[in-house]
Amino acid sequence: MTSLNSDWLIEAKSLTKNYGPHVALDNVDIQLPHGSIGLLGPNGAGKSTLIKTLLGLIQITSGEGKVLGHDVRTEGDAIRSKIGYMAEYDTLNPDLNAVDQVRYSGELLGMSTAVANQRTHEVMEYVGLRDQRYRKIGTFSTGMQQSAKLACAIIHDPELLIVDEPSNGLDQEHRGFMLDTLFNIVRDGGRSILMSSHLMDDVQIVCDRVIMIHKGRVVVHRRIEDLARQIDREIEISVWGGASKMEQELKDAGLTVRRLGRIMRVLREDESTVDTILGCAAKASVQIRQMEEYEPSLEDLFLLIMDKLGYGTRSASELLNSNPNSRIIGDGSIGGTSI
Amino acid sequence: MNELPEESPSEAPSEVSPSVQESANSLGVTRMEAAFGSGDGDENAFAAVSQGQVEVGTIFNRVYRPWRGKLGPRWVRNYAIYRHHVYGMITSKGHRYYHPFIRLAVLFILISSMSTLGFLILGSLIGEPEIMRPFGLNRNNIYAKILGFFPRNALWWPLLTALVIGGMISEDRAHGTSAIYFSRPINRLDYAVMKYLSVASILGGVILLTYVSYYSLAIVVEGHGWAYLFDSFPLFISGLGISILLIITYTSIGMALSAVSKGKFFPAVGFLSIILGTKLVAFLIDSLFERSIVYILSPYDNLAYLGQIVMGINPGYDHPIAFSAVSLLAMNVISLYVISVRVNSLEVTRE
Repeated sequence: MTSLNSDWLIEAKSLTKNYGPHVALDNVDIQLPHGSIGLLGPNGAGKSTLIKTLLGLIQITSGEGKVLGHDVRTEGDAIRSKIGYMAEYDTLNPDLNAVDQVRYSGELLGMSTAVANQRTHEVMEYVGLRDQRYRKIGTFSTGMQQSAKLACAIIHDPELLIVDEPSNGLDQEHRGFMLDTLFNIVRDGGRSILMSSHLMDDVQIVCDRVIMIHKGRVVVHRRIEDLARQIDREIEISVWGGASKMEQELKDAGLTVRRLGRIMRVLREDESTVDTILGCAAKASVQIRQMEEYEPSLEDLFLLIMDKLGYGTRSASELLNSNPNSRIIGDGSIGGTSI
Repeated sequence: MNELPEESPSEAPSEVSPSVQESANSLGVTRMEAAFGSGDGDENAFAAVSQGQVEVGTIFNRVYRPWRGKLGPRWVRNYAIYRHHVYGMITSKGHRYYHPFIRLAVLFILISSMSTLGFLILGSLIGEPEIMRPFGLNRNNIYAKILGFFPRNALWWPLLTALVIGGMISEDRAHGTSAIYFSRPINRLDYAVMKYLSVASILGGVILLTYVSYYSLAIVVEGHGWAYLFDSFPLFISGLGISILLIITYTSIGMALSAVSKGKFFPAVGFLSIILGTKLVAFLIDSLFERSIVYILSPYDNLAYLGQIVMGINPGYDHPIAFSAVSLLAMNVISLYVISVRVNSLEVTRE
């Protein structure tokens, strides 16, 4: 008898997966709403195990989980019928034409040949492979192969698309196209995405929510903008001429400033900070060529959180001498889960 | 100049703990450096204005089209796997790609193995008994249609199997295409069974077609009546059973070899080595020491011995038939076990 509510996109309660003595997922409690979600974590954190669990491919050790209302323990087939999965590594047969590969992936879902054929042409156009669809996959560039993998994943218009490192190996142009495509699937298609990536910028572009996994536990689960609010806001200015004088004026005005050449970051204390900065610029007779509120990127947040988790940014002696309580992120409210 | 000055602790109210704020002060430094360089900012200001970036137009609008169709049940998915692999042998367009050489070779084997039919027709037309003796319908010739060593089991059937099984599972491991299967509602049993049936069907298409064609044509061209048909039918069924056993055994061994490798070459060469190598070793030992027991290591000889017993032909082996039967069973069981273990190890996500 499950105690989970089926309205969530993904829901897990005390989900645990052990591989022998190794705990891959440790009491994972998550409730993810429909939308775009980034899945972050260092190597070995448990991301792949979580994905396999959500696909219903492995038996969990204890706890319960649901994806799109289906139990991960018993309804793997139903889950995989509604999910599109785009793997990180090569999953395409280089000897097949792209159109045949995509159609076959649709047939493997249970589509008839005629339906799969029609749908193949639609999705291949959508992922930008309309003119290359009759080429052998072995002749494709990395970007085209990624697009073909995406076409295979979305041929049945899945309710949830799980993508693993979608921009892996792509140049800037293809990366932008891929991220744009994924974003549009959420925005225009109304579909949900769970995106695992090491590139924080990618996650930030596509996703509005992140979960971070560390040693099999979900340490952060929040909207990205909510996470960003947890960190001090700064105003970044670019000063031309007399930067040192400007810095001194800002300090004299009681503002906290850090400077790198002509770039300065001023701690935003209240609404009047901008006026104060402009006043200082007038006094110092310098030009402010650019002023913007600097929002910490997801990468900043990730590094900060990983730093708090003791991930490589502190020396061993610091870690040994540190108070165990200092490993709690903030007041424990960032992820709702303290470690 | 490029180093950040010492910071004083923030006095601004914040929702987060001091430990978070301390780390926040070091955020974004790399981005600042990368974006704006490392000048000190006190030099004379000047600006170089470059031409604005020209907007590139979009030639068509990409529209995400939803699909609300209904997916077929399990048998539809399984049939898709079967069809993909079997139809590929006839036309690679839209199905599994078999190299043209492989398809030509299979066609050559089919034609060659059916060459007997030509001699049968020729012999019946000219009424030459010397032609009819090796090709006419009798117990020994029915046996030889399937289990005769040369050319069928020395050449055609092993070669046919080697050509078909190469890459059947191994390429899914090599190319990662196993993820295409297992990220869909296809379980590993269905995957393995459908691949197995695909190979068995292709082998059966050649071996059984040859056998059934021979028997049917021989009945017709030799002008036998219904009585002969009824008399010889049990023999035909025995041959059919042995043919199916041969197909199962060769498919099991071939698929197991394909499951343990990552290419086409090893399974193909490995299969030929097992079938012909064990036969050769057993033959040499039997010739030198007059011990036929080593033949239980040879899949072909086990099948041949079983076929001789079932079809009532004088056996060419000295050891008990039970040894060969058990050996044949063990070969199939071990092969199926290897297939199941290796298919279970196919990955969907890479760790």
